[in-house]
Amino acid sequence: MEPSTEKGGNPYRKRFRPGEDLISWFLLGMASLAIIVSLAIIYTLVDGSYGFFIDARVDIIDFFTGKNWSPHGATPSFGMGPLIQGTVMIAGGALILGGPLGIMAALYLSEFAHNRIRAVAKPFLEILAGIPSIVYGFFALLVISQVFRDYFEADYFNAASAIVVMAVMILPIVVSVSDDSMKAVPREMREASLAMGATKWETATKVVMPAASSGIMASVLLGLARAIGETMVVVLAAGSIAKFSWSIFHEHMTMTAYIAQVATGDIPPGIGIQAAFAVGLVLFAITFLINWLASKVVISIKKGGSGGLRRKKLGLLSSALHLLPNLTNDLLDKVRSDRMSKNMTMRYVKERVGKVVLGSSLLVALVFLVFLLYSILEQGLSGLTPHFFTNFPSSDPAKAGIWPVIQGSVYLVLLTMLFAMPVGIGAAIYLNEFAKENWFNLFLRRIIQNLAGVPSIVFGLVGLTIFVRFFSFGLSLLSGALTLAIMVLPIVIVTSEEALRSVPQTFREAARGLGATKWQTVWHHVLPNAIPGVLTGSILSLSRALGETAPILFIASFFSKVAPNSIMDGFLALPITIFYWTKHPKQEFQDLAATTIIVLLLILLTMNAVAIFIRQRSQSKRKW
Amino acid sequence: MFAFLNKKKKEECVCPIPGKEAKEAYIDMKGVNIFYGSNRAVKDVSMRIKHRKVTAFIGPSGCGKSTLLRALNRMNDEIDGCKMTGSIFMNGVDILGKKVDPVSLRTNVGMVFQKPNPFPKSIFDNVAYGPRIHGIRKKSTLDCIVEKSLRDAALWEEVGDRLAESAIGLSGGQQQRLCIARALAVNPEMILMDEPCSALDPIATSKIEDLIFELKKSYTVVIVTHNMQQAARVSDDTGFMYLGELIEFGPTKQIFQRPKQKLTENYITGRFG
Ligand SMILES: Nc1ncnc2c1ncn2[C@@H]1O[C@H](COP(=O)(O)OP(=O)(O)OP(=O)(O)O)[C@@H](O)[C@H]1O
Ligand SMILES: [Mg+2]
Repeated sequence: MEPSTEKGGNPYRKRFRPGEDLISWFLLGMASLAIIVSLAIIYTLVDGSYGFFIDARVDIIDFFTGKNWSPHGATPSFGMGPLIQGTVMIAGGALILGGPLGIMAALYLSEFAHNRIRAVAKPFLEILAGIPSIVYGFFALLVISQVFRDYFEADYFNAASAIVVMAVMILPIVVSVSDDSMKAVPREMREASLAMGATKWETATKVVMPAASSGIMASVLLGLARAIGETMVVVLAAGSIAKFSWSIFHEHMTMTAYIAQVATGDIPPGIGIQAAFAVGLVLFAITFLINWLASKVVISIKKGGSGGLRRKKLGLLSSALHLLPNLTNDLLDKVRSDRMSKNMTMRYVKERVGKVVLGSSLLVALVFLVFLLYSILEQGLSGLTPHFFTNFPSSDPAKAGIWPVIQGSVYLVLLTMLFAMPVGIGAAIYLNEFAKENWFNLFLRRIIQNLAGVPSIVFGLVGLTIFVRFFSFGLSLLSGALTLAIMVLPIVIVTSEEALRSVPQTFREAARGLGATKWQTVWHHVLPNAIPGVLTGSILSLSRALGETAPILFIASFFSKVAPNSIMDGFLALPITIFYWTKHPKQEFQDLAATTIIVLLLILLTMNAVAIFIRQRSQSKRKW
Repeated sequence: MFAFLNKKKKEECVCPIPGKEAKEAYIDMKGVNIFYGSNRAVKDVSMRIKHRKVTAFIGPSGCGKSTLLRALNRMNDEIDGCKMTGSIFMNGVDILGKKVDPVSLRTNVGMVFQKPNPFPKSIFDNVAYGPRIHGIRKKSTLDCIVEKSLRDAALWEEVGDRLAESAIGLSGGQQQRLCIARALAVNPEMILMDEPCSALDPIATSKIEDLIFELKKSYTVVIVTHNMQQAARVSDDTGFMYLGELIEFGPTKQIFQRPKQKLTENYITGRFG
């Protein structure tokens, strides 16, 4: 029978499936919201700065090079020098302290630590990363700063305390990225070195570290971006006077701190407020650049790890083999001389000592965490009475409570997730299940990655411009939730994608092989199995939104003393309350801030426990 | 007359999906090339797969057997960067053509994978999944389809009384037969199997082989296998592939007893590193 003689047409002709197309376009739309958010950020910053730069009192050259920043008064001056100095000193200081600490910890975890220590270190670092920055800010101002005041005659506000605390804050990202890149170094390389008679210490420092150097570089860059974008710690601990000074014991203002100052209403309306947008633009550009540099390096590492592109790994290996000749001679010399001078023991001693030094970096962080929790408990535990939960904020510390604040936070976070979850999960489904590998989807991924690196205070400016003013939602719960939603969106997308990816490919193949459409496959097989993972990720994003202060600094009002009745009402949230109480000159209110921190941490702890519970239950029930 | 119809329906219990309407199910491949990016994994393959026969693809690892098999139900579409050229006529329609809908195609061409891949659902739901997505909701029809498919897959005797249990609890061999039943439930014309026994023990393997023998009475079967004895046992026609090329294709007996190509002979006699 010849093909042409067949009658009855094509039984496999294209079917019209409007639903399927509609869904994929809809999901694409959700993913594309990331582009709209990015455009909103750029519009906000460019439009706001434009008004600033065309003002007669502003000189662009002076803005970048001037050394005098006094944005209000009769003759304002906008030389960003002091802000840049403050930012560089504090972020740089944090990096000088936290970078080596993090790299040491990573080297210890990847090369020397027992599995049991690794198993403990991971959640420990997650805790460090999960503590809201407002809590670190409290600790910097009221505990660490005290030490500098007592022993170094530092100002009340000083850069040093911010540096110390921020060094610990950047630790989790430095450790995790460095650790990943060290683990990606092929085992063959370690074995080659060990087989030549190198000790584990020599292998770790002379083979593994150089081979992982690009990843370590990336981790340091990401830590730097994090430190430059950090707001709450510097605004609380480093102060708000922009003076040119090289002493870390003096008061310093960073770029983020200036924007926060505008947000808290400390700058009178006028050109000073517009200046915040210009500073925001510079801040955005700097962090974007650093994150972009880091992502270049990280992407090349990721490719090495993910199966198909073995070339990268081989590249690493051959570059390491390049290293080997020197190393070989070095080591051979050593081995020979060892035999003669019998200083083999020296090399082992070096390894022992090195190991202890590396391990102690983790210990330092642990001591810091214990100290932090202890001081907060000590200061706040006595305030934890039933009426603290049920009372309203008050100017009398004995009567003040946080009932409407808790309500405000709960509404805020629920509303945030109402916006962020459907969009984020939809975008993740699009990216993981529908997106082909083409330039547009690559571009989308880039955009989402970049969004995740935008400093949170910049989202505050966006919320103010877009939601408060442009859509005239005012200083309302709605504006606050939308602002937080665009901020957590990248996190929801990334965690949901992870959950989707963990569903075995065989389920998709089986369903597709039976003639299920893409959406049927996703709806029947992928989503049901990904739900626990998606939920876990969402809860973690939720806790991020709950602890975040900077983006809603512009929107939440310290003067709304009652819980919101509608989404258009003003609101107060836990981190904002902690912020104002920490700044309060009276000790009693600072104690209340500690008590509120305890409440916040308890809520976060509960949420994380629920997330872990869900993850564990689903893993134990998992049939595949 | 009505009684006759009813009776017939009960016995036959044909899945009312417009699947097996063609009287014949055969395939004509003409100059098929398949690329992964710039890597040509299948080179200029032409062959004819006959109606209700078992056709086997054999050849060393990486020679493109799976890739060629997955072209027959357009599963390669699911891989980014995979491109197919040439034509594959299935009952006269070029299924590589633009107008062909992979989803409808797969309803007519079932597939069984190397590793059993049941859904983490009940046995019943696994088999009923295909019919359900094609809109069959009626419980009695579904019951009937599930029973028939499980019988056809020689699994009914073992699981007929515990359809509500999870498919994950079945043994590997039972899982694979369940996957076959699941593929049969949409009433395809053709079944593709990619090394269906490589994850199974000898007893389970022999059950699947018996099953393939039964299946060819009503389906066209294409099977990829690493095991030459298996190819010799179950297939009517065999194609030997090497480095992406179809070296030799013909009746199984001839391929194994009097191969025309030196390469084929070397492979079959095990002189192939
Ligand atoms: N998803 C993919 N992406 C890129 N290349 C692929 C992919 N799948 C297979 N290949 C390549 O195509 C070629 C043929 O692979 P295929 O899986 O068809 O071989 P096979 O004959 O089935 O081998 P095996 O007996 O090991 O299953 C191989 O060189 C393989 O590397
Ligand atoms: Mg294969």
